[in-house]
Amino acid sequence: MHPGKLKEYVHLFEEYTELRVQENRSLRINLVNGDVMTNSSGSAGGVSARTFKSGYWGFASSPIPDPDGITRVIRNATDNARFLASKEKKSFSPLPSSPGTADRDFSTGKKRLSRKEIMDFIRYLDSTIAERFGKLTSRTVSLQLLDMEKSLVTSDGSVAFSMIPRSIMYVSMNTEKNGEPVNLLEVFGGLGQFEDVFDEPENLLPHIDELYEHLMRKADGIRPDPGMKDCILDADLAGILSHEAIGHTTEADLVRGGSVAGDYVGKQVADPLVTLVDFANEALGQICPVPVYVDDEGTAAKDAVLIEKGILKGFMHNKESAAYFGVKPTGNARAFRFSDEPIIRMRNTVILPGESKLEDMIASVENGYYLMKPSNGQADSTSEFMFGITMGYEIRNGKLGRAIRDTTISGVAFDMLKTVTAVSDRMKWSGGGMCGKKQLIPVGMGGPAIKCKLNIGGR
Amino acid sequence: MNKADVSKKGLRALQKAGLEKSESRFIFSRKHEFNIDGGEISLLRTTEDVSLSMAGITGNREGSVTLNKIDDASITEAAATVMESAMASQPDPANDISPAQPPAKFARGPEEPDMDGMYRRITEFLEYAGKTYPTLILEQVLLDFNSVEQHYVNSNGVDLESRLGWYSFTPMFTSKDGKDTSSFNYSSVVMADLDKALHELGLIDARMKESTEQVRSREFEGKFTGDLLITPDCFDEFIRMVVGYLSDYPLIKGTSIFKDSLGKQIASPGFTLSSRPRWEGLASGYFITEDGFVAEDFTIIRNGILKGFMLSLYGANKTGGERAPNSGGAYVMEPGNESLDDLVSGIDRGILLCRFSGGYPSDSGDFSGVAKNSYYVENGEIMYPVKEVMIGGNIAELLTGISGISRERADFGYSIIPWIRVEGISVSGK
Repeated sequence: MHPGKLKEYVHLFEEYTELRVQENRSLRINLVNGDVMTNSSGSAGGVSARTFKSGYWGFASSPIPDPDGITRVIRNATDNARFLASKEKKSFSPLPSSPGTADRDFSTGKKRLSRKEIMDFIRYLDSTIAERFGKLTSRTVSLQLLDMEKSLVTSDGSVAFSMIPRSIMYVSMNTEKNGEPVNLLEVFGGLGQFEDVFDEPENLLPHIDELYEHLMRKADGIRPDPGMKDCILDADLAGILSHEAIGHTTEADLVRGGSVAGDYVGKQVADPLVTLVDFANEALGQICPVPVYVDDEGTAAKDAVLIEKGILKGFMHNKESAAYFGVKPTGNARAFRFSDEPIIRMRNTVILPGESKLEDMIASVENGYYLMKPSNGQADSTSEFMFGITMGYEIRNGKLGRAIRDTTISGVAFDMLKTVTAVSDRMKWSGGGMCGKKQLIPVGMGGPAIKCKLNIGGR
Repeated sequence: MNKADVSKKGLRALQKAGLEKSESRFIFSRKHEFNIDGGEISLLRTTEDVSLSMAGITGNREGSVTLNKIDDASITEAAATVMESAMASQPDPANDISPAQPPAKFARGPEEPDMDGMYRRITEFLEYAGKTYPTLILEQVLLDFNSVEQHYVNSNGVDLESRLGWYSFTPMFTSKDGKDTSSFNYSSVVMADLDKALHELGLIDARMKESTEQVRSREFEGKFTGDLLITPDCFDEFIRMVVGYLSDYPLIKGTSIFKDSLGKQIASPGFTLSSRPRWEGLASGYFITEDGFVAEDFTIIRNGILKGFMLSLYGANKTGGERAPNSGGAYVMEPGNESLDDLVSGIDRGILLCRFSGGYPSDSGDFSGVAKNSYYVENGEIMYPVKEVMIGGNIAELLTGISGISRERADFGYSIIPWIRVEGISVSGK
């Protein structure tokens, strides 16, 4: 539904109100050793309204975005806010308003592929992997497509439409060493529908060859020595570092909930080499993996500079947190499903590149680790973070040595960032991340390689 | 809206589209949710949704679609998409639907929320937390009522219906005293009613009290191999890791560390773990499995011996193994013989692990991560809360390394778990 149609319901708004119609469309295909284990598409859509009354929010949603359904969710959301407001009084600040308008559609202009053509693409990759790599004990090729289409109007004048697609391919390989399974996974893709993201399957093969080489080395690899170590985080890890270590700590709702970042604004929290930004939609001359032009509260989205040359500059905000902290909203309020309320989420969180060369950074480490691929991660109000490492190498006397097995790294972000002594001149984006915080949401992240000290876990 | 009509309409559309075997599942769900954010009641959220899952098999090729539009045109289009998906796939004899079973209807829990009762309980919790733990910040608290009505039919004549209703409560909090901050922590419970004060449920009050102690956590240097005493809520996460190795994906791939362990000792003799979604002793559960069977309770590990895998119908057909009687969850562990105090006093050096923040365990079972909200234990005494401490081990060795199980168990409404003591875990400080 185009937001123009939604404007017809604005006259029903009796309080500050956001009205959103959304549909998420998905496709999941999962091949395990050539067998199709998942072959499923889906769509989940509906309408939601959120209202604000005397410092309280009311929210309601319905899967039926027809005139009755829309009218009903507006009334129910209003009743919900009034229910809370009738129970007690609290002091609150009026919500700030920076209404945005946008009409952004990232649908492909190419002819859409049939399900069979998409399946053939995946099966070609799978069969090529099976033919090429004799030492694999199992292989998995998975495709996950997600189109998020949203229309929004708000009582303070926002009118926005967006269709943000994402196409992600996972290739996972297993081998065995002395009876012990060893796995490695690579993620391909990002912003765009399948036809725009994946052209020919052959183009992925050089990356898959490289993945296999790393897997073979990992099979012969060692368990890392636990403890505090000099590390080079590859650019693939800088994104999750930006997201987990600093990003979550500087979400304004978490700051209000006790995050240590609340005590550090204007203070040196990192080496001056570190500048970290949550970009709204464009960065360094390109569109980000998860572009947000108008957020789900109707705020025109702005870049949020979190750390500038090592100084903590501010937080990511929605309208309510901006009112609480007395600043302008940054447009970070996002909802995953039609039935979710917008909450503060990262968009495209990035450490900006520096001037060092990766080779020189590795050569500068006498005894440490070069960490290349992450798995999951978690943040904390103390800024202590962790994330899993699935690929890396030891560094001995400035040279890469044996591969390492899976491990976990941790650190206290606002201590660790002060140990940064080099930032590389080349950055990478990651467009495959899903962040969990009450709701899931797609996020973009990225950064350059970083030299720092980290705590390595293990046995 | 008649739920049975919708699911049967889905089934008829699949059959009309030419699918040889087909199944249709309709779910109508509602949620009423009170939110506390930053220590204040902030939001009342009420949602409703429908979900129609349609799947079909033709020539051993399978496809499926899930949608939340239930008009005739959408259902007909979905059936055509299922057929197109199946035709694009490849034959796999393991694809199947559940065989004929007697029709059945089930119900558990309240049908409607007690909104005034929910408001009363959440404000009471807010007041209790503020008075009892003044340094604790309620970052986000959710008290919700959930209602899920489900109807499953398939072309073998299966016709199953269930209604579930439950409350759940999840507080997440951090403590702050001056500039000293604890790690965040949380706890969850599920309940059938609002009879008890929320802080009295599960381990919520204990977790909040510990949080206020953890604002002044200490580091320690060096590393050692010692014992872990794992709290019930934390061990629930380890159970889910263990069950992950017993499920379809690693068993079909052949990578599970337990693939050859059926009928063998994989845990210490006192360890008995069941999955009991039908048991009325738990507030949550389910009656219909994901593959269209009536769910049954069963014991996964009895006295340390692996009794069954968590295979779905597809996984069982694919591996030649036996289908699990349910789809997992609702884990109940038998209590041990020792008191919690005895378990602590038996530790020479180790960690009381209250929350584990770790990377996904590897295919080989190795895990490592940060011991959050946890305590250093020495000479049988809990000494002080720790920070920046990592632990590492292996899931298979963790199960065989269990040296004690407490008599006391925590009831979270979705699982019932004792405290577990484990030997031989690597612990490293800064």
